[in-house]
Amino acid sequence: MLRRLFALAAAGALVIGAPAAAQIGSHKDVAKSGFTFPATGPVKILVFRPDVQVGSQTAGGMNEPNADWTATARKELTEALARAQQSRSNELVMMPELEGDQAALLNDYRSLFRAVATAVIQHKLFVGNRLPTKKAEFNWTLGPGASKLAEIGGGDYGLFIFSNDSYGSAGRKAVQAVGFLFGVPVSVGVHTGYAGLVDLHTGELVWINADMRMGGDVRQADGADKRIRELLNGFPARAGATPVAAQTSSAR
Amino acid sequence: MTRRGRLAAALLAAACVSLAAAGPASAADSPKSKLQALEPGAPPPWTPGYQPLDKDEKGLWMEADEAERTVKASNFVVHDEALNAYIRSVLCRTVGDDRCHAARIYVIRTPFMNASMAPNGMMQVWTGLLLRVRDEAQLAAVLGHEFGHFEHRDTLRQFRDLKSKTGAMAWLSFLPYGVGLIAQFAVIGGAFEYSRDMERDADIEGLRFMTRGGYSPRAAPTVWTQFRAEQDATAVARQQKSRKDKNGGFFATHPNSAERVQYLTHAAQGIPNPPTRFGETEYRAAMANWWAPLIDDQVKLNDFGGTEFLLSSLARDNWTAELLYARGELYRSRGAPGDFDKAAGFYRQALDQGSTLPELRRGLGLALIRAGHPEDGRKALKDYLAMKPDAVDAKMMAMLAGGE
Repeated sequence: MLRRLFALAAAGALVIGAPAAAQIGSHKDVAKSGFTFPATGPVKILVFRPDVQVGSQTAGGMNEPNADWTATARKELTEALARAQQSRSNELVMMPELEGDQAALLNDYRSLFRAVATAVIQHKLFVGNRLPTKKAEFNWTLGPGASKLAEIGGGDYGLFIFSNDSYGSAGRKAVQAVGFLFGVPVSVGVHTGYAGLVDLHTGELVWINADMRMGGDVRQADGADKRIRELLNGFPARAGATPVAAQTSSAR
Repeated sequence: MTRRGRLAAALLAAACVSLAAAGPASAADSPKSKLQALEPGAPPPWTPGYQPLDKDEKGLWMEADEAERTVKASNFVVHDEALNAYIRSVLCRTVGDDRCHAARIYVIRTPFMNASMAPNGMMQVWTGLLLRVRDEAQLAAVLGHEFGHFEHRDTLRQFRDLKSKTGAMAWLSFLPYGVGLIAQFAVIGGAFEYSRDMERDADIEGLRFMTRGGYSPRAAPTVWTQFRAEQDATAVARQQKSRKDKNGGFFATHPNSAERVQYLTHAAQGIPNPPTRFGETEYRAAMANWWAPLIDDQVKLNDFGGTEFLLSSLARDNWTAELLYARGELYRSRGAPGDFDKAAGFYRQALDQGSTLPELRRGLGLALIRAGHPEDGRKALKDYLAMKPDAVDAKMMAMLAGGE
């Protein structure tokens, strides 16, 4: 615990004075080529407990975790997600809290998804670090073993959601203002998120979206709606329907 | 690397150790707490039904709760009920029954020496620590130290200290001509000093707990003298200078191990009529089923000197078949000139003691093949396959044994 604090402090404190280019200011989504949900029939999506963290950013750039905000945001985001999917006529199933071996299995797949998603975000989504072999392809998978998750929770697809917010405190904003006078760029606030959809029959990743500068205040219902809309940018549509990306590309 | 980059690297390096870390030796032989307690009237966190008091503490608990969700479902958690019950019994004896119920203990399978306790009561005990402590009293010293952090809500104290100091650093960064940078160094040095002060306090609190629980306080400094000796052994085998006295310096989160030995010895000597219980027999009995797998983890660390030191310390002239097996595996995995012959010798000594461990035959076979005795080697591998036909590596061993 203590060493994590030091790592957080180190990461935060050193943001100050870092070149402005260090801010990866972008959002990007990508889906498996030609993937659509079937035109008719139910589409059942298994939703895993959203990984949510909300805090405030101290003057020095540390994140100060806020339990109340985080609990509120998790609730608001889950409800906003349900509203969003209802409008798409997809059926959502929440993965229940698991115990024992099932909890361990889910834990494994959460970690695996995180690793795969990080690889996609680093080496596919954003310019600068793209792997030549992955330029044209979108072929990541968690392996066929992911079907075990469908056996436990039910559903044809699995949806993972990550959301991380650190709202700039008054102190941080003051540091930014003074920094501006000195010509030193100081970033205020961290608002990142990503979401991914996995075909639970094959384990294939069919869609992913990441955003390093997300909008919407996740502590409020309408803000959560906006956040979910942005997180679901480019979310696969039914065969023959207009892709969702076209509808929401004006989010910012 | 820029100055900022170096600072980041040093910060992160210092952040990677929890029970063990080192800095420059300074003579602090009378450890008195320099730190203020949090809200003196507040109930201690082990009080039944204790809830975090304010926003900071709630936030830290939430993070710890989230971490615990992951830890709980981790494949690295050791579920052996007997071992868990034993560690809990040592903790309860050390800190008392009124306190110990507040801890949820997770034994984590990892070959490094550490333990930790989060503000919400999640205690982690790493198996690398269990392999290294020699008796119950040494284990009690470490568990007492960690519980001391919990009791004094050190994570919260650290968090607040860091918050104010990193805030100060942000403002100092605007001072021109390097003045700000120097001042920032002073502030960040202060943060690490604060951390070291808390560790000293926790060491002394651990000593108090273990003495009250009836364990000999002399065991506390021994944890660190053993660790220093192991670091020396590692360094000798790697032909490097021992790292026992340098692990962070200015950026050390923990006092140097030499300093810890010094003040713990001093404090232990100051305790009138100290208890004399070490509980070595009990500890060895409780760990009996775990030596082999834990030694196996250790052998795979590729730390020949440190592992050889550990094995010799565990053996103390009584080389059991399991320790001989481990030593054979250690020499065989290094594979320097003469190692395969030595390894074969260790496996044979274990077999001579009447051990029926199938893996002895596998090790012997592989060592003999590499040592230039392929016929004898293949025969030993066939013996292994006969004893353990469904071994995970059966197919590979069958191939090496010459088919069939």
